[in-house]
Amino acid sequence: MSGVLLKLTGVRKRFGAVRVLEGASLEARAGEVHAVLGENGAGKSTLMRILAGVISADAGQVTLDGRAVSLGSPSAAVAAGIRTVFQDLSVIPQLTVADNLLYGSETSARGLVLRRRRQELARKLLDGFGLGRIDTAAPVSELGLGDRQLLEVVKALRKSPRVLILDEATSALSATDSAWVLAQGRAAAAAGAAVLLITHRLHEVRATADRITVLRSGVDVLNGTVDELEDDALITAMLGRRAEVLYPSRVPPSAEDVLKVVGLVAQGLPGPIDLQVNRGEILGVGGLQGQGQRELLMALAGAQPWAGGVATLLGAAYAPRSPREALRRGVAYVPEDRQREGLFLGHSVQSNITISGLGSFVRHGLLDARAELRAAQDAAARVGISHDRLSARASTMSGGNQQKVVLAKALLGEPAVLLLHDCTRGVDVGTKAEIFELMSRIAAAGTAILFYSSDLSELVHVCDRVAVIAEGRLGAVISRDELTEDAILRVAVRLTAGSHGRVAA
Amino acid sequence: MSSSAPTRRLPRLGVAMPQRLSWNSALTAAILLALIIIDLSIQPALANLTQIGLLVETAMPLVMVSVAQTLIVLVGGIDLSVGGMFVVANAVTVVWVGGGGGAHQLLIVAAFAVGIAMGTLNGLLVTGLGFQPFIATLGTWTIYNGIALTILPTDGGTPPPFLSNFMVATVFGVPTSIVMLVVVFLAWRCLRATRFGGRIYAVGADEERARLNGTSVRRVKLAVYGLAGLCAAIGGIYAAGADVSGTPTAGDAYILMSVAVVVIGGTSLRGGEGGVGVTLMGAMALTLINDIVDALNLNTWVSVAASASLLLVMVAGRTLVEAQLRQRRRR
Amino acid sequence: MKQVGSWIRGRLGVASSYALCAVLFVIGAIHSPGFASASNIRQMLVFASFVGFAALGQTLVIIAGGLDLTVPWLMAFGGIELSRLAAGGMPAVPAIALVVAIGAIIGLINGVGVTWLRIAPIVMTLAMGGLVQAFLLAVGELQSTGDQVPAVAVHLASNRVGPFPVVAIVWLGFAVAAGIVLSRSAFGRRLYAVGANDTVAWLSGVNVALIRILTYTISGAMTTFGGVVLAGYVGTTYLDIGGPYLFTSIAAVIIGGASILGGSGSYWGTVAGALTLTVLSSLLPLFQLSNAGLEIVYGVVILIGVWLASTGHRLLGRLWRRGLALPDNMQGGAGDVSA
Repeated sequence: MSGVLLKLTGVRKRFGAVRVLEGASLEARAGEVHAVLGENGAGKSTLMRILAGVISADAGQVTLDGRAVSLGSPSAAVAAGIRTVFQDLSVIPQLTVADNLLYGSETSARGLVLRRRRQELARKLLDGFGLGRIDTAAPVSELGLGDRQLLEVVKALRKSPRVLILDEATSALSATDSAWVLAQGRAAAAAGAAVLLITHRLHEVRATADRITVLRSGVDVLNGTVDELEDDALITAMLGRRAEVLYPSRVPPSAEDVLKVVGLVAQGLPGPIDLQVNRGEILGVGGLQGQGQRELLMALAGAQPWAGGVATLLGAAYAPRSPREALRRGVAYVPEDRQREGLFLGHSVQSNITISGLGSFVRHGLLDARAELRAAQDAAARVGISHDRLSARASTMSGGNQQKVVLAKALLGEPAVLLLHDCTRGVDVGTKAEIFELMSRIAAAGTAILFYSSDLSELVHVCDRVAVIAEGRLGAVISRDELTEDAILRVAVRLTAGSHGRVAA
Repeated sequence: MSSSAPTRRLPRLGVAMPQRLSWNSALTAAILLALIIIDLSIQPALANLTQIGLLVETAMPLVMVSVAQTLIVLVGGIDLSVGGMFVVANAVTVVWVGGGGGAHQLLIVAAFAVGIAMGTLNGLLVTGLGFQPFIATLGTWTIYNGIALTILPTDGGTPPPFLSNFMVATVFGVPTSIVMLVVVFLAWRCLRATRFGGRIYAVGADEERARLNGTSVRRVKLAVYGLAGLCAAIGGIYAAGADVSGTPTAGDAYILMSVAVVVIGGTSLRGGEGGVGVTLMGAMALTLINDIVDALNLNTWVSVAASASLLLVMVAGRTLVEAQLRQRRRR
Repeated sequence: MKQVGSWIRGRLGVASSYALCAVLFVIGAIHSPGFASASNIRQMLVFASFVGFAALGQTLVIIAGGLDLTVPWLMAFGGIELSRLAAGGMPAVPAIALVVAIGAIIGLINGVGVTWLRIAPIVMTLAMGGLVQAFLLAVGELQSTGDQVPAVAVHLASNRVGPFPVVAIVWLGFAVAAGIVLSRSAFGRRLYAVGANDTVAWLSGVNVALIRILTYTISGAMTTFGGVVLAGYVGTTYLDIGGPYLFTSIAAVIIGGASILGGSGSYWGTVAGALTLTVLSSLLPLFQLSNAGLEIVYGVVILIGVWLASTGHRLLGRLWRRGLALPDNMQGGAGDVSA
């Protein structure tokens, strides 16, 4: 039995008015993998970012080997032996693989010689981890997302850490890559490190971890060894209640098609894709991550040029050359990244909601402020944002509410087709349920919805049919009565067998 | 495991360099080479070390100011005060250092220090008070101009004797201007290979990630601003020697020209890409254009128009090549 | 009442720019009685309006996330080209219209380069400025200059309506129009959207390219117009006449509270910036400051002005509320001056 290496007591942190951590505690032992579980927003990532020195806690203590440590900056954390595999990666795309791996340990010497030496060092390092296939001279920007994540792991392990943090390091990886990362975690623990594992996948916890701590609303609510804790108990602890049915009832769609696409080809989408969405239907778009789903939705939204194919929208030819044209034709798009693609963070909620429909509020050349306010209030009411938040800055809203603002913006023009790109990612369970309810209502009112989600169970429960995309091609369209997670995965995997996609969810 | 997630990459010319940098510098080198050939064909007499040395001497103030600008641009900033730092060092050199017939030659150290101090002040405004680089240096630009005018109200003064000697000296027959150009280039290569050099690129490419990697973005930037101040000051000191006099109003012309040189060379205004090497080529290219226009006895406007056109052509050309590369990479 | 409070709070940045201007003015008035005389105020208004014309387009361009460095050359172009056309026998009014139209086209080219060719604004406008400069040099070298500035431009710059200079009234008209367009029109709102985040704006159906091109076009036209009036005031034209306006047009915009990163700012703020810069440059000679001292104070005031317009006023407000007791957490960094 090894002793406690890392101990956090009473850690508190708030961002503005939002209290993220309210006295969380954690004890991690050397030689063990310690899983930290919790819903989105439970405070796991904040806790890990405090440990990594990225942000500092408002209160609380961190001790390492019984001695209090101050983690004021990432370099202080590194100096203390705490290494983090960051969720949103710390490798710098513009630098080469070798430069990234050896970052901070360059030694001064003469140009070419040095560069070759660095390549050798990096080469040796990667070979040691069985990653010989990665070119050390390539800029990281040329690597796939998965390989970047693996580099991130190698970087963290390079100087054998005392504490290793794997913050959702496997969420973007294929099963084999995930297994490799988890094996590295186990190996680090075997070498005497305390490993903190954050993941959403219970089976990974069961396979890898020794001990579990569950966080809920910024406090640790449960901990124990893997063997003591049943799945049910974990889920109850995470949710604070039994998981209840999250999904709304659905009105069956009509057979009248709203959008019909034949032979769509675009960059990153070799296709050809044939699709049809009917009035009131929610058509899921599924498959492994990064198989062309983004490109498909972008092309339909006019944000990506078409290389081929024809489409009809409400009976008329449809080939949008810009998002503006798509919006004018009644096709609204909710992009993947709400902070970078969906919102003007510094502007008010109202300006965000009405930006696409400004033309309709113009009277005598100027904006009719009252008409604009009314429209914004209507849209806000539909998604469940209270009117007094309309003048707040978008940046002050929580993630879930920000997503609602983006949805309100898309709904303002009463679209005939709504394209949703993973609009429930990073959103808390309550808001998720609200969003599904909203989708169901919009569909019942006659809007056709295309819904891409990285979460298979959402697709299964919310959609009428699911189109599975693999390698930019349409694998199959699975109908309601055959719709299971298993069925989606089967199509996705069979099509990409041997071609190394990443499993979603 | 090893079968997973294939990496797509371009065919590579060399092994060590990222593709982008090599075509980028090749383009700049090609333009420079073309201009050299044109200039030599117009004035064959130019093909000797003394003549080349004189040409480089003409270019050197612009070279040093552009090196300063490059450093700032590499960390994602822009410096409008390079001209101000240039003239302060210029004035200090001809008044304090050169004054008294060269009795205080050691004060040259002060001229360097003043440059570092001014650059550091810029850096403090940017990193400490959170000013945007453009704004901070917009303010210090005129402050430094004012300081220069206080030290040296009108054109005049005398550079210290050793500086004048330096101008005409040779090293193994090679004029000092050429030696200095080579030294600047080598100094840069060494710097690039150090830990600090790597950090400059990391900070310029992505500050947040550089921070995650344990780099103090503030400290790196502060050091870069200080170093840029030193480079701009060296430009001013050199100009004092080359002109055998000080000009407290000469700086403004260098501000936008240095930005043009940086861009023509191929350093990205977004930061994190490019370097001093290409800037040296860019500065020489602009100098050659002037030289060619002079040699042909053309009007001034021709050289202004040619410089502006070169700027546009290089930028538009790069944008197109980059777009092509990105498309090819996606396939 | 609560709404009034929030209205004021939302405009504290602009208000602090006017406050700075007022403080400088009062200092001048106390120091020398002539400073507050009608003729001096008129004089300053005229000078400020030149900055105001050059900075109007600059304001729009900066709000949309760009920058226009052609300003000094277009100012010179306005006067020189007008005189040239007039000397060639063209009546003054169509000549002014033509010159302003050419300025607009030059701005349009800037906009096209920035949006379609995706050239960085600094680079594109720098190169265009170089080409305009080359044109002016060529005109100067190939034919004699010193043409007369047409009387219309001279009148525009020096006549009065009652106690008010005509230029100042024209400027006020432009300011009111720009204020309404920015805050009340769809174009204005889209402009802020483009500057705040062009990807989001594009995905939200905003014609980003068109908006950007328009800002540069307006900037080209307005700056050239400013050059016409300036030439009318000076009575003659020369190549460097626009020199100071590169600096002042940008400084006025940012003292007025706009962020150089785009997405915020207002023309009324820029007006305050233009007034502040003008009052300052008339004030400093009263203190027997040499040209050198003037430049130094100029720079310091710009830094203070920007700081006030962005974070300073918040910090000062906090200090005020605490009864001027030093806040315990005030350390070196004053936060993020986002301008």
